[in-house]
Order: sequence, then structure tokens, then C-alpha cells
Amino acid sequence: MSARENILARIGKARGPGVGVDSDDVIRRHPRGPIPPLGNNLAKRFGEQATRLASDVAPTATLMDVPKIVADYLRERQLPPKGVCWPSLAALDWQGAGLEIESRAAHGDDPVGITGAFTGIAETGTLMLLSGAQTPATVSLLPETHVAVVEKVRIVATMEDAWDRLRREHGKLPRAVNFISGPSRTADIEQTVTLGAHGPYRVLIVIVGGSWNE
Amino acid sequence: MRVGLFVTCLVDLMRPGIGFAALRLLEAAGCEVVVPAAQTCCGQPGYNSGDQKAAKALALKVLKEFDGCDYVVLPSGSCAGMIRVHYPALFKDDPSVIESIKRLSARTYELTDFLVNVVKLQNVPGRYSGSLTYHDSCSGLRELGVQAQPRTLLAMMPGVNLTEMRESTTCCGFGGTFSVKFGDISARMADNKCEHIRATGAGAIVAGDLGCLMNIEGRLRRRGDLETRVLHVAEVLAGENGLCK
Amino acid sequence: MQVTAMHFKRKASENLRNEKLQKALEKLQTKFVDGRAVAIAELPNFGEVRDAAAEIRDKVIRSLDRYLLRFEQEATARGAVVHWAETTEDVNRIVAEIAHQHGVHRIVKSKSMVSEECGLNDALETQGLEVIETDLGEYILQLAHEPPSHIVAPVVHKSKEDISDLFEEKHQRPRTVQIAELCREAREVLRPGFLSADMGISGANFIVAETGSVLIVTNEGNGRLTTTLPRVHVAITGIEKVVPTLEDVTTLLRLLPRSATGQSITNYVSVLTGTRGKDESDGPEHFHVILLDNGRSKLLGTELQPMLRCIRCGACMNHCPVYQNIGGHAYGWVYPGPMGSVLTPSFVGLENALDLPNASTFCGECAVVCPVKIPLPDLLRHLRTRQVQQHLRPWQERVALRLWSWMARRPALYALSTRIAARLLRIFSGSEKRFHYLPGVTGWTDERDMPAPAGRTFRDLYRERHSS
Repeated sequence: MSARENILARIGKARGPGVGVDSDDVIRRHPRGPIPPLGNNLAKRFGEQATRLASDVAPTATLMDVPKIVADYLRERQLPPKGVCWPSLAALDWQGAGLEIESRAAHGDDPVGITGAFTGIAETGTLMLLSGAQTPATVSLLPETHVAVVEKVRIVATMEDAWDRLRREHGKLPRAVNFISGPSRTADIEQTVTLGAHGPYRVLIVIVGGSWNE
Repeated sequence: MRVGLFVTCLVDLMRPGIGFAALRLLEAAGCEVVVPAAQTCCGQPGYNSGDQKAAKALALKVLKEFDGCDYVVLPSGSCAGMIRVHYPALFKDDPSVIESIKRLSARTYELTDFLVNVVKLQNVPGRYSGSLTYHDSCSGLRELGVQAQPRTLLAMMPGVNLTEMRESTTCCGFGGTFSVKFGDISARMADNKCEHIRATGAGAIVAGDLGCLMNIEGRLRRRGDLETRVLHVAEVLAGENGLCK
Repeated sequence: MQVTAMHFKRKASENLRNEKLQKALEKLQTKFVDGRAVAIAELPNFGEVRDAAAEIRDKVIRSLDRYLLRFEQEATARGAVVHWAETTEDVNRIVAEIAHQHGVHRIVKSKSMVSEECGLNDALETQGLEVIETDLGEYILQLAHEPPSHIVAPVVHKSKEDISDLFEEKHQRPRTVQIAELCREAREVLRPGFLSADMGISGANFIVAETGSVLIVTNEGNGRLTTTLPRVHVAITGIEKVVPTLEDVTTLLRLLPRSATGQSITNYVSVLTGTRGKDESDGPEHFHVILLDNGRSKLLGTELQPMLRCIRCGACMNHCPVYQNIGGHAYGWVYPGPMGSVLTPSFVGLENALDLPNASTFCGECAVVCPVKIPLPDLLRHLRTRQVQQHLRPWQERVALRLWSWMARRPALYALSTRIAARLLRIFSGSEKRFHYLPGVTGWTDERDMPAPAGRTFRDLYRERHSS
């Protein structure tokens, strides 16, 4: 017998005959577990939690403002004004803001990566990004600076809400769903938290659609 | 109310004063106290060492001895936990006794828990003057929820000045046979406890389990601390400055 | 990985005397124990979430085959290849075959405790493959040729000076003791490895039956790099890691980082499903998932079944006063602390890890902090019972316990012997009323005094007072 058959036989033997016959039904219903209370102002909570996890958060009225916000952010930190963005954001006037931005997947030495976000999760201040042809996963990963543009109206309360939206809008999961909560970090050396491990050293979240305090 | 006092084997052998202190507290609460003469051990050493047979035999002996009592009270969180939590687990597949074991378990209490939550004692008979710090013994704390009860009782004594130590809920390292099998780990844990006790500057360390007290006392004395008194909570509550004969 | 659990006592004693290690272990207390307490306090419905989490894990374990088959079906539909491995040797063989099949030379690896179970790195290296650990901690251990001492913080036993020395020697760069600079140095040294690797190997914190996905939580981003850049991704995990749905995994995610490191969520949570799409510019072209049994299915239907709920957060060891004082290496295999003391005997044999189930005071803190409510002390006690049943305990211990229980069942004899013992011990203890040495219990008296009995037993005194 194959390893598969042996393992399944051992499990099957230990399991009672009727136990778990509803497993497919459980999956079809995918019931939610207990949800923590989160308050009403989701965008505010999202911004606060993201800040707590060391993301920088900037609210703005429209998508058109994003290139200038990014340019200012990089200049203030004396970071190179160049990098890559998702093809879905290629239409913005990066050049007009003095930025040299290519629309493609990231290489190892791109200083800045600019992405959108499928949604933001208020509970933990987390970005949810889906991989795809127009939304390559490397852009949020390889550069030392990650800028994510989130639409305020798309911020949801919990990861459960995000799954429901994903099922509704996409039907199935993309190759990679990446939840991002601040710059990469490590505490492996003497349990001392250090920002910037293998991923970005800093994350700027631009919330489009007005102040997140409103 | 007929209360069976199970003094525990360790108290019987090592420090009978704790048994008399418990007796005095129960009488002060108006209980009719019976002390079954044939009582020995609850079976915990065997149970925790993997000898279920020995543990069961002793459990059945306890069951019989305390048959006529409305309550069974022990001046030890770990022995009370043995009866309350572990007896039912030990006999879960034994339909002939499980019901009577469950009834025994339900009416068994650690001493301070019983005094506060069952008889609701308002005044304690002892007198004490001085500073002390309290160690929360593991089984009492985590199996029976004994934490506020001893402090409530100590707070009834105007002369008691309780200073909490850091990590009062961390194990002192006793663990029954663990203290002998892994002596150096056990002693290190006791040493950490002694450090926290010393840091409070309290004149006495108080706890509800004699095993922990012997471990802590043993390490304190070996460290050269001959001053800090090591007292069972019943001795403080019932005695004259911790002395109960 | 080689098992050295039989040397537990000796290693533990050495570690107690290792001052550098003792200092390193203190950090665990402040960062992980205090961090968890804060993170739990911030989750208002923690108790409810914990109950739900334990129930989710139990539900899966009760019908593990059904959820595994569903996972296999969904993962396969998305282009992943699912492999089943009975033993660690099977895993090593399967990974080597996959590497061969895809013409792999260089492998990057993110942290996987299951791969430590397998001793995978050594096995692959003997096949001529280059394997680079990329989690900072695991990378340091690979340079130092050491096993991890903690499942979440693998180099908790090393100081930054140790790591500076190691980096200076291996990287041939100017020495630095700044932690941030050490981290940057590792990033710069490892980045070319990521960019040139043919294969990435990861573990899986969970696999999701509903979607056939592998879920990985990391903070450093190395897990994302490992599973995004190389053209082949192999995820290795235990068969018990399956959960039914995305909602279930979300409930568990509310507890895992909080219990592990005191974080509300880890920096990255990656849910990986299938292979790169035709029009996509990144992501692996081949995705393999290896499901390892290695003794797990044998726990089903036994007293140890609740152990399969474990989500490997490490809270039990962080809060274990024994682990806090001796560190992880003494436990002698992949998994240290209370969970390791259950898993090691279960996976490598009770007779090869005799001390582990006994190396606990049963203080119960591990069960209090376990996010999936595993009754760890009960499981350890059960292993002790098995040791007795299989006659694996030393005869002196068996005789002593038998004698004790035999006496305790004979009240008259018991009363007589305790009366004599109390009297004699009192006399021999001298004016100090305590012993500095007591034969038979030197484990106690080596570093502690033994208080002497008061001299008369309670029963004696009670009878005397109440007969008059």
C-alpha cells in the first residue's frame, strides 16, 4: 500500500464510522467564529492599528494626490525617488511629481514599490493584497519602501469580512493572498524588535477618500 | 454541619501544628469537625508518578473514611485538587464508584476556599503582627482558583502587613518527586522564589501547601537566611504570631 | 534530527550553570510572557475565541481523513501536487526527487519545524544540493551548526556578541554588535540567495481544506520571498495542520501570534493557493505540498489525541518554569518545553525520552496559557503512567512508591512507622532542626536543607488531646 493509503487507513480506523460526515457541509457553510467588538469607525481603527504596527498612514481626498504624497514622503526621508508600481496604478502621473516609476514586477534592487490593496482590515490595521497579472506580489516585498494605496470605502472590519468580499468579487483565491501589517521585522537577536528584515523597512499606507478620522 | 478534616500525610508527619490550626479555624466557623483516625494519604504521589493502581486504592480508602461528612476540608491545595479534580478522572471508566467519587469531589474544599466561600468566616481566631508575603501554590491556584481567599482572610487580621512579591504565582519548584528527581532544577526554581521573597523585605513567607513551604524553607536556610519565617496560612490565621500547637 | 533526550538531566544541569544562557533566557520572560499578557488583555472576547479555537482543532482531528482528502482535492484542482509521507525519510526522499525532477541546485528555506524533525538540510546536502536557511534565527544556527532551542525564537540561547563573532568569521565583513546592523548584514548576504534559488522550502502553519491553501505566518518576509521567487515551492507540514475553512483559520490567527510573541497579528500572513497563472509575472511554477505523519496518526483515539490540536505557538515553553531555567536544548529533540515533552516520547519512543514526561512540576501554567486548551499536565501524567505500565521506571522508584502505598493502606502500621520516623528524624536533626544531608534524597539536600519533623505526628497529638 502507498503511504497515502496507510495514513488514511490508520486515521479512518481511529475515527468512528459516522464522525465528520458533515465535513463538506461545514465547509460550504463556513460559519464564523466569535468576532471581537471593534466599534463603528472602521477607517479610524484601521489607521490607528496600522500606526501601532509601525506603518506610516496618510489620508488623502483623491487618487490623483497619491504621487505627490509619495514624492514628499521619500524626499523627507532622503530616499531615492524611483521604483516600481502595480500595472493597475500605471496611469497615475508619477513623473509629474518628480518620480521615476516603472509599471512591472519588482527586481531585487528597486528602492520603492507602490501597490494598491484589495482591502484594509480595521481589526488589526492590516493590508490585504491579492497577487495577479496586474498586481504582482514582489512589488510589496522586495523594495525597502512599500507604499500601499487603500480606498477608504473598501476598509472592512475583520478578516472574515475580507474573505466574504473575496468570495463575492473573485469567486476563488488568487495564487497568493498577502496580509501585511507593517514593515518586515525580526526579534530573533536577543528578542529585540528590529524593523526591516527581509522585506520592506517602511510601509506608507495612503488612505484615499478623505480623512480617516471622519 | 459535619466537616471531615483531612490533615494530609505531610502535615501529619512533619508539622502537626498546621492540622491543629485548621481544626481551630473550622471550629471558629462553627463547624462540627471530625478527624477520621485512619486517614493517611490521598494517593497523589502514586497518581503523579504514573501508578494509577496505588492511587485508586488510596482514593477508595479516602472515599470510605469521609463517607458521613457533609464536607471534606484539607489545608493543602494540591491534595484538595487531587480529590476534587483528579479522583473523577481516575475513576471515569469505573461506573461502580464514579457517582460516589463525584459526590466526594463536589464536597471537598481547600481550607481557605471553604472558610471564605462556604462558611463565610467573618473573624479569624489568630493574632499576627508583622509583614508577610504570599506564595500562590500551583494546584490551589490553577485547579481550584485559590487566590483571593487567603488574602481575604489575612486582610481580617489588623496586624498583618501583606507585601506582594513578584511572580507570586510562579511555581516554587517543589512538584513532589520532581524536587528529588530533578534536584538542581527544582532548587533553582526555589532560589528564584527566595529572591522574590527577599526583595519584598517581608518577615515571613506564607503559603497554603506544606510541600512548597518545605521547599522554600529548605532553600532559604541553605542560602543562609535563618530569619525569614516560613508559615502555613492556617498557622497565621489561627495561631499566636504564627505559632499553633 | 538526532535524539539526545536521554541526556536531559545532564544537559539541564549544564545549562543551569551556563551564565550566558541564563541571561539570554531572562529575555524570554520579559518579551514573551509579558507580551502575551498584554496582547491577550487587548482581545476582549479571548475566552470565547479560545473555546472556539479548541473546538475547531478538535473537529478536524475527529475526522482528519475527511478534511485531508478535501484539502488534497482542492489543492490538486489548483495545480499543486500533494505528497503523503509516513516517515521523515519519506519526506527527505520526496524533496530530493522533486529537486531532481526540476533540475534544482540552490534551495532557500524558511523556518519549518517539521523539516527539523526530518533532518532535511543534511539529507539534501548529501545529495549535492545547496540549502540556505533564511529565517534570521535559523540562518544563524546553520552558520553555527546548532539545532534550534525554541520553536519560535530559535536562537534565544545566543547573545548578540555570539552572533557578531559568528558573522565576522563567516561573512568576512567588519564586526558590528548593533542588532539593526547585524540584521541588515544578514539581509544583504541572503538576498542574492533568494534571487538565484531554484526552489523554496517552507513549512505551513495551517493548510485549508476549503481552498487547498497553505498558510504561512512570518515577520521577516523571508517566508514570502521563499514562496514567491523560486520557480519551485515545496511546503512541508504535519497531517494535523489542516483546518476546514478560511473563517476557522481566522479564529486561530487571533490566537497564534498573540500566544507566541504577543503580536495582534504577524507582519505577514500569506495564503498560498496553486501555481503562477499564465499571465502572471511572479510566483512559483510548481507547487508541492508534503503531508507528514511520523507518528501523528498513532495518537488518534488515544489519551494523547488532544496533543494534535497544537498550533506550535510556544506559549507553553515560554511560561514553563522548567524551560525558563534550562532552555530548549536540554530536551534533546526538535520540540522543547511541555509540548515537546509530550511530542518527543510520542514520536521517537517513550524509552528514548524517559525524563521528559517527568521533567514537570505539574504547575499547570502551560495548560492555562495554551490557546487551544491542551491539558498538557494530564498528557504528561499519562505518559508517566505508560512508563510504569511498560516497566520503564527504575526499580528503586517502583519499590519506594509501592511501599508507600502499601503502608498508606494499613493505618495501624502507618501510624506506628510515622510515629517512629517523626521521632527519630527529630532527634537526628540536632539543634538546627534541619538536615544538610539526608541519604536517599540527596537530589533535595544537595542544594537545600530538609526541615525536620516536629517530633510527634498529628494523629498522636490529636488522639492524646481528644481522649482526655
